Amino acid sequence: MTAFKTTSPPAAKATGATLFWRTMWARAYPRIVGSLIRERSWLFFETVLPLAATVSYVFVYQAVGAPEEYVGFVVLGGAMTAFWLNILWAMASQLYWDKEGGNLEIYVLSPGPLMAILLGMAVGGFVMTVTRAAIILIVCSLAFSVTYTISSVPLLIAIFVLTMIALYGMGMMFAAVFLASGREAWHLANLLQEPIYLASGFYFPVRALGFWVAAASSLIPLTLGMDGMRQLLFAGDATLGFLSVEVEAIILLILSVFFLAAARFMLTKLEEIGRREGRLIERRR
Amino acid sequence: MSSTPLAIETHDVRRIYKIRGGKRKGEAKTLIALDGVSLEVPRGELFGLLGPNGAGKTTLIKILATLLLPSSGTAKVDGLDVTTQTQEVRRRISMVSGGETSGFGLLTVEENLWMFARFYGLDNKTIKSRLAEMMQMVGIYDRRSTKISDLSTGLRQKMNFIRGFISDPSVVFLDEPTLGLDVTAARDVRGFVKDWMAQNPDRTLLLTTHYMAEADELCDRLAIIDRGKTLICDTPENLKRRLQSETIFHLKIQPLRKPTSPENVVEAVPGVRSVTIADQTDFSELRLSLQGEEALPAVLSHLSGRGSGLLSLEKREPTLEDVFIQLVGRRLDEDTNLNGTGEER
Amino acid sequence: MTTLSPVRPEGERPMGFADRLLSLPFVQRSDALRSFILGAWLGWQIESNWADPLLFAVYSFARPIASVMILVVMYSVITDGATQQPIFAYIYLGNALYIIVGGVLGGISWAVIDDREHYRTAKQLYTSPLVGYAYLCGRGAARLLIGAISTIIVTVFGVLLFGIPITIGSIDLPFLIASIMLGLTSLSGLGLIIGAISFQLGRNAWQAGELISGALYLFTGALFPLDILPPVLREIGLIFPATYWLEAMRRALLGTNMIGFPTFAALDNTAIAFILLIMSVGLWVSAAFVYRWSMRQAREKGVIDLETNY
Ligand SMILES: Nc1ncnc2c1ncn2[C@@H]1O[C@H](COP(=O)(O)OP(=O)(O)OP(=O)(O)O)[C@@H](O)[C@H]1O
Ligand SMILES: [Mg+2]
Repeated sequence: MTAFKTTSPPAAKATGATLFWRTMWARAYPRIVGSLIRERSWLFFETVLPLAATVSYVFVYQAVGAPEEYVGFVVLGGAMTAFWLNILWAMASQLYWDKEGGNLEIYVLSPGPLMAILLGMAVGGFVMTVTRAAIILIVCSLAFSVTYTISSVPLLIAIFVLTMIALYGMGMMFAAVFLASGREAWHLANLLQEPIYLASGFYFPVRALGFWVAAASSLIPLTLGMDGMRQLLFAGDATLGFLSVEVEAIILLILSVFFLAAARFMLTKLEEIGRREGRLIERRR
Repeated sequence: MSSTPLAIETHDVRRIYKIRGGKRKGEAKTLIALDGVSLEVPRGELFGLLGPNGAGKTTLIKILATLLLPSSGTAKVDGLDVTTQTQEVRRRISMVSGGETSGFGLLTVEENLWMFARFYGLDNKTIKSRLAEMMQMVGIYDRRSTKISDLSTGLRQKMNFIRGFISDPSVVFLDEPTLGLDVTAARDVRGFVKDWMAQNPDRTLLLTTHYMAEADELCDRLAIIDRGKTLICDTPENLKRRLQSETIFHLKIQPLRKPTSPENVVEAVPGVRSVTIADQTDFSELRLSLQGEEALPAVLSHLSGRGSGLLSLEKREPTLEDVFIQLVGRRLDEDTNLNGTGEER
Repeated sequence: MTTLSPVRPEGERPMGFADRLLSLPFVQRSDALRSFILGAWLGWQIESNWADPLLFAVYSFARPIASVMILVVMYSVITDGATQQPIFAYIYLGNALYIIVGGVLGGISWAVIDDREHYRTAKQLYTSPLVGYAYLCGRGAARLLIGAISTIIVTVFGVLLFGIPITIGSIDLPFLIASIMLGLTSLSGLGLIIGAISFQLGRNAWQAGELISGALYLFTGALFPLDILPPVLREIGLIFPATYWLEAMRRALLGTNMIGFPTFAALDNTAIAFILLIMSVGLWVSAAFVYRWSMRQAREKGVIDLETNY
């Protein structure tokens, strides 16, 4: 090796929001590269296959002679599964993976905030997620000629955005919970797949579960998010939502604040426990 | 930066692990990994931690690097408390371990390093120039576009080194940095460390190693720790000088017969201070530390009394290894855990 | 140095039943049998979860029941809960049986990726004198068994709660046994092919089995009769063994309570069994070729022990 000479200026290290931003995109980078460029099989796995699953549910409705708007319900639900799977697999269970790979230690060690790392994971997978959702939405809408009658565009956007904020906040919180539970993370992610599809009404209006079940499910942001969007997208008799869209928007706002705060709190706690107990953060087997 | 001249300062640091996995319930065991370690490392020093497996070196480094909390005692890095001023400490430090697997296999060397640098808030321009410079320095510039899944252990470790130094840390922790490296790569790594210290006289580096020669070559001062306690802390020269009054011989002998009685052992021969025996396939190696040369004939007659002939004999200057043996009571490559520290499993 | 403890502590049989199997003389002579048993044993250790209530709840209960309940709710919303209609039994059973299809199709590719990315034992496995495909089949068999348990739970749940008309009288036992044997053989042939191919894929193959079986939902008549599909898509269903297997199982379990659809009207039980037999042979022969090819490729590319880690 040649002698060490520091010709370049001493490293200026950003803090605060800039550090957050840089950390987030840095962690997103491997995902973007990984999923989009170097592993092309993603396109198949992530779009064609879930698309087929959604279509199956459409046919089930057709087999039992359901009214038109139910096709639209399924299509929207099928598209939204993409976001749910994104937070489960790309975020909540990912800290565990990073621990196994030996990276978590370095995240913790660096000044970059863990929340930025987590958001980075989700952002990196987001392109894929959105593509997947969009393909399901577009292909199914065309194939089954779903008709949308949008009653309020601003409200629709507001509901969608709030749902996303609350959802990703929840994902960060789950990441801490999953890692802390000491279980292999995908067991938990698995537990939250079909049961949540059922409870949140991905394939039918959540009202069908009865008030109390629907109310309990509303803790999952997608429940009210989908119910609200369905009310705004399809104007039909069967569309009667669980709550009014405005109320749902307010609840989603509360959920957003709650989940982000909870995530922050739990990640801090997690790090603290990890440092105290000498596990959680590092890979030990 | 704070005004204290001490870069690392620990005061009576203890660390107790809870051991899980006792098959039966209620079997909550604990393990004392650090048992009151107090160290002071001034800024600008290259400080070494030496100790057998399980001595507590990694535990200490992890505490200093904010990955682990001390069970009691205080530890400061750059004058900042590692327990409470975590974030400030993190901005100033970095850690590289031997055999570390961090990074993303499908990204290139350059991409991985860029990513890690961003975690420290560096801007792209700085990263770019520093990266190029450092990659050239350690000799992986021409491999910068290789995916790290395709790197050899040595190249990977060079990359880890860049990761550790790119953020221009004021205190660096190296945990067995040459683990698994071949002679050349290890030399490169040591060269890098020395250069960096020479170029940045106000930076501090704490290193653990199992290689005596490495510690001797690199460290300004070193501490020998065993079973969670510091046995001694001094410069390599002073440590070796301690043994000047002793005479050290290395002997190769034919295998020894079992002693006829517990008293009839080499240690019992008058003038013998300490002895270690390593059995090879068809001979044994003896390391003798004597009060003076005049004790040698008695040892040789003891050996032949036990049916062993002398194959070779060599008088030696004391090395760090000898210091270690004298303090720890066994060689560096013998495991602490076999001597019953209450190890897990 | 202390002495090493004996490989197997006195009085302890760490592998229990599998251990006894492995000591049988004819097993000791066959690498393939040994590999299969070891694979199945390992698979069972990894996947079985009787000891762990949470895992049992997740895999054998919560997930399968939830996915069938989605269909029950969808059905009830539209029909006001008329679960005694034969179409309900059709949907319900199809979904219950599909758990096995998913397990068999995805089990092997799951094992490949699991060994490689999670346990990181691929290196050790494929450098040992195990017979790779036999080992993988063993892993798959363990998963099949676990899937079968869920199917039984879900089916019993359906009979008790929703009155699915399976009775002693409705079951055609000989045909049921034949269907199970032939169906599972053909499906595992396909599973082995998917597993072999997943050696070439990175971590995305994690969910390959799940996703593929999700997609096949559409074509195999699991959730709705093939007659609902546009004619072109209907033809696709006819090339998959799962399609025939589901039909055979429904007939064997429901007997005359089974709702008939035109697609399969022309095929009697023997014909369906025969089709499954042909498919089994064809798929196993292809699996052998694909496996060989894939291992060659994997060694050439050096991806047998790939760890993508991103
Ligand atoms: N997370 C942990 N939980 C329980 N025990 C631990 C943990 N980490 C380390 N130990 C134990 O603490 C003791 C000190 O370990 P440490 O890793 O600090 O030793 P070391 O000096 O770095 O050894 P080596 O030279 O082998 O790297 C050992 O007995 C070890 O088994
Ligand atoms: Mg160590």
